[in-house]
Amino acid sequence: MIGRRRRSNTKEVVQPRSPGGPPPMAPALLRVGIGLFVVYAAIGVGLGWWGVVEAGRLTTDPGNPLVLAAREAPRGEILDARGVVLAESVREGRGGWRRNYPHPEAEPLIGYLSPRFGASGLERSYGAELLGIGDGVGTESLLRKLQRDPYDEQDLLLSLDLRLQRRAMRMLRGERGAIVAIEPATGRILALASTPTYDPNRIVDPATGAAYFEELLDRPPKDSALLDRATRGVYTPGSVLKMVTAVAGLGSDAITPATVYPAQPAEEVTGMPVDGFRVRDGHHPQTGDRALALDPATAVSCNIYFAHTGLNVGGDAFLAWGARLGFGAPIPFDVPTAASSLDGGDGFVDDVELANAAYGQGEAQATPLQMALVAAAIAERGTLMTPHVVDGLRAADGSIDEVEPSAWRQVLDRGRADSIADAMRGAVESRLGRPYAGAAKIPGVVTAGKSGTAELGGEGEPDSWFIGFAPAGDPKIAVAVIVEGGGTGSQAAVPIGGDIMGAWLRLQP
Amino acid sequence: MAMAAGRASRVRPRWRGREARLLVVVVVVLAVGWLGLASTVAGELTIGQPAPLVVLAVMLGVVHVALVVDGRRRDQVLLPVVGLLMGLSLLLMSRLPQDLVVQSLAGVELSLAGIQLLWIGLSLAVAATVAVGLRNDLWLRSYKYTWAVAGIALLLLVFVLGQETNGARLTLRIGPFAGQPSELLKIILVVFLAAYLADNRALLAGRDSRLGPLRLPPLPYLLPMLVIWGLALATVVVQRDLGAALLFYGVFLLLLYVATQRRDLLAFGVVLFVVGGLVLYTLFPHVQDRVAIWLDPFATAQGAGFQIVRGLFALGRGGVLGTGLGGGLPTVGSGPSIPAVHTDFVFDALGEELGLAGGLAILALYALFAERGLRIAAGARDEFRTLLAAGLTLVIVVQAAIIVAGNAKLIPLTGITLPWIAYGGSSMLAGGIILGLLLAVAVEDRPGAAIERVGWRERLGDASRAAAGRVERVVR
Repeated sequence: MIGRRRRSNTKEVVQPRSPGGPPPMAPALLRVGIGLFVVYAAIGVGLGWWGVVEAGRLTTDPGNPLVLAAREAPRGEILDARGVVLAESVREGRGGWRRNYPHPEAEPLIGYLSPRFGASGLERSYGAELLGIGDGVGTESLLRKLQRDPYDEQDLLLSLDLRLQRRAMRMLRGERGAIVAIEPATGRILALASTPTYDPNRIVDPATGAAYFEELLDRPPKDSALLDRATRGVYTPGSVLKMVTAVAGLGSDAITPATVYPAQPAEEVTGMPVDGFRVRDGHHPQTGDRALALDPATAVSCNIYFAHTGLNVGGDAFLAWGARLGFGAPIPFDVPTAASSLDGGDGFVDDVELANAAYGQGEAQATPLQMALVAAAIAERGTLMTPHVVDGLRAADGSIDEVEPSAWRQVLDRGRADSIADAMRGAVESRLGRPYAGAAKIPGVVTAGKSGTAELGGEGEPDSWFIGFAPAGDPKIAVAVIVEGGGTGSQAAVPIGGDIMGAWLRLQP
Repeated sequence: MAMAAGRASRVRPRWRGREARLLVVVVVVLAVGWLGLASTVAGELTIGQPAPLVVLAVMLGVVHVALVVDGRRRDQVLLPVVGLLMGLSLLLMSRLPQDLVVQSLAGVELSLAGIQLLWIGLSLAVAATVAVGLRNDLWLRSYKYTWAVAGIALLLLVFVLGQETNGARLTLRIGPFAGQPSELLKIILVVFLAAYLADNRALLAGRDSRLGPLRLPPLPYLLPMLVIWGLALATVVVQRDLGAALLFYGVFLLLLYVATQRRDLLAFGVVLFVVGGLVLYTLFPHVQDRVAIWLDPFATAQGAGFQIVRGLFALGRGGVLGTGLGGGLPTVGSGPSIPAVHTDFVFDALGEELGLAGGLAILALYALFAERGLRIAAGARDEFRTLLAAGLTLVIVVQAAIIVAGNAKLIPLTGITLPWIAYGGSSMLAGGIILGLLLAVAVEDRPGAAIERVGWRERLGDASRAAAGRVERVVR
């Protein structure tokens, strides 16, 4: 080793390269250089990904400090379908701006914007558009960059109708609950109510904001006013979920509208054995020992019939059909939504859970928005339109960027959807169904619906549900209503649903 | 020590026309940037207070003149490239909130831009001194094990006395002086590797022993490789410094490949890297955290992923052409928009204001630096110098790639600096040493010059062997 080191010390002037010596290093240097260039090119592509492809999404992200920093800048207005101002920026003191909400009834959806407490609802999810922050991509954005004022506030034009929204909020006054009203043919949200509610003006007002916001946060979760129950409240759906089971049963050809289960009348008395457990029912003695097909089973809300149907469909297919309707993942919408689920998200552990879920108990959970979509898809003859409440964005120069209605999924074909629609019509109109969902009947209009009573276990009153649409032949509106602790469906939610649908039909020109 | 000999072999001043022209371009570019920044901030056309820019221009000029006076022929592109990077740093530091760093030096209160300018000045001074003064590299190459020992000692010192910054034990504070030794360590590592590989490259390139399907060099020659691997792991464990470890190991592997041209060794090294990475991932929660943040920073946008998400917002806001200097969003409320924007996230801040175009231009500057550095390596007059120049170039270029890729969420984020741009004294000084060494290696020999030097080379060799030979014997 010593000799080796010596040699290396003395050989620097001339560098003899014996034929068997190590190879020259220049080719390796070239290869390393090329490798480095490739790596740098890859990094450049990565930068392009964020700077160009993802730029719009990043810049309009509600968490972007750019959006947060501009809480006190003027923003566009939010207007209802007829142009009524729901949110506006008003001057306050020394050149500052403050949000004003002339109609707090529109609350759950609009949200609030406070320099101190942040933003929620559409104020949050459309923060970038209301502020008018461009995404830095495209000629228009590039030109704007040359101007002093980088903002181009846009107005939000909603499909919400304040008249219907007010009525919906009034129907729920004093209750905890939610109402979603949707136009089946377009997916436009007509009303979206959630109670208890709050007054956004008091949050925004610096004088009352701190105390008021603290009081809102201090409420127990059950009474929270900040939670929008319509989009993020998850409830046991009870019998309204049977319409999902019907979709899965007819869609997968597990049943036809004429299918009957011969054992069902006896099981009304003894219970239906599933894996050693017994599914019990027995709340519709008027059908006696008649085996029920889809129509009467829907009218009297027969648990045994839909438990059989769920088992016939099978767990995996049931989940797949649920997913077509939107179950299993948050529904894409203009404000954040919670995911609904048929199985609690962990699959059906056994047939007992599947059978229970098939009539809306077990681990099934749904948001009012999700159940409104189920009604809307059936009303629209199997087509599920993408729900949306923002109809368009209006720029300062008056030009409107409209949101076109789009079909989200073709859930069922027309024939099968109509079979379910007929069953729902029977649930409101027929002699058998009248005691359950008859209160939704709109005078002079053929009405379709399904009531639900979600048993929560324990002592409390069950949650009261209704989904429906009207007129049955040419649906203009579909609704989902829940009243927490409202008792049976027919006691609370059913009449509210009928009232809202009737009101909308009367408001139509 | 080399100065006396240097004077003896001094040649006449030689104009460096290309360097001068490029430096003028650099200063003009920076002046335009300064004009844009000052005008955006003030809201009217103004140059603002250009004193720092003038100081930088003068300092670059002084280094240029020093190289002209020195008179030896050498690369003329490195200095302008580094000068432009330093100028961008100065622009950004002047633009960020000044109270990010405040230090009192001899009664004078200095804030972000002032301190950075001071370090840039020191760095350029070091670069010029090394470039002009280093005529002999014997003391660098002969005592490689001494350097290795010094490096390990430095690592141990950090382990014993180091202070934690952001969860990593990086800073060594002795009296009033504080620094990050890993910045020095990376230079020592390259010097050691260059010397070791230059001496043993023939043996390493041979295929002498077998390990299963692998044909490997004799174990005694393989051992240092494993030691470096262990050192890199130790850096992660002891310093919690993932970035430095990745840098050390990456440069080591590439240098080993350059020296031996053996792809199997490269592959073996990558396998060791993967194994080491898996072991660290399994054993250390902070490594797992980093990976989790990398995979989905948006999941914890308000927590652990906050920094990287804010950085990506800046890149997205920058778009193609950027918001323009001064048009970005450096602060939200009272704090900076991106935490550690002046150290770990300078690139995202520049990406916001200069856009994708500016970001690519900065990458191009590092690529240009790589091209010049590797060219110097290929043209160096012996193997040690080739490996030294290649190693120093790789340190800069790999380091820039690691941090930029981390900023852009292409690899897990690690806290190392963007050379010559990020705020930080240790990093800036290390950058100066590297620039100086490269410029020293870049000197092109005139015929006859080498013979002239053998005399003092021999004499110095004798002296240094006597002094440090003892250390060598102890170590080996």
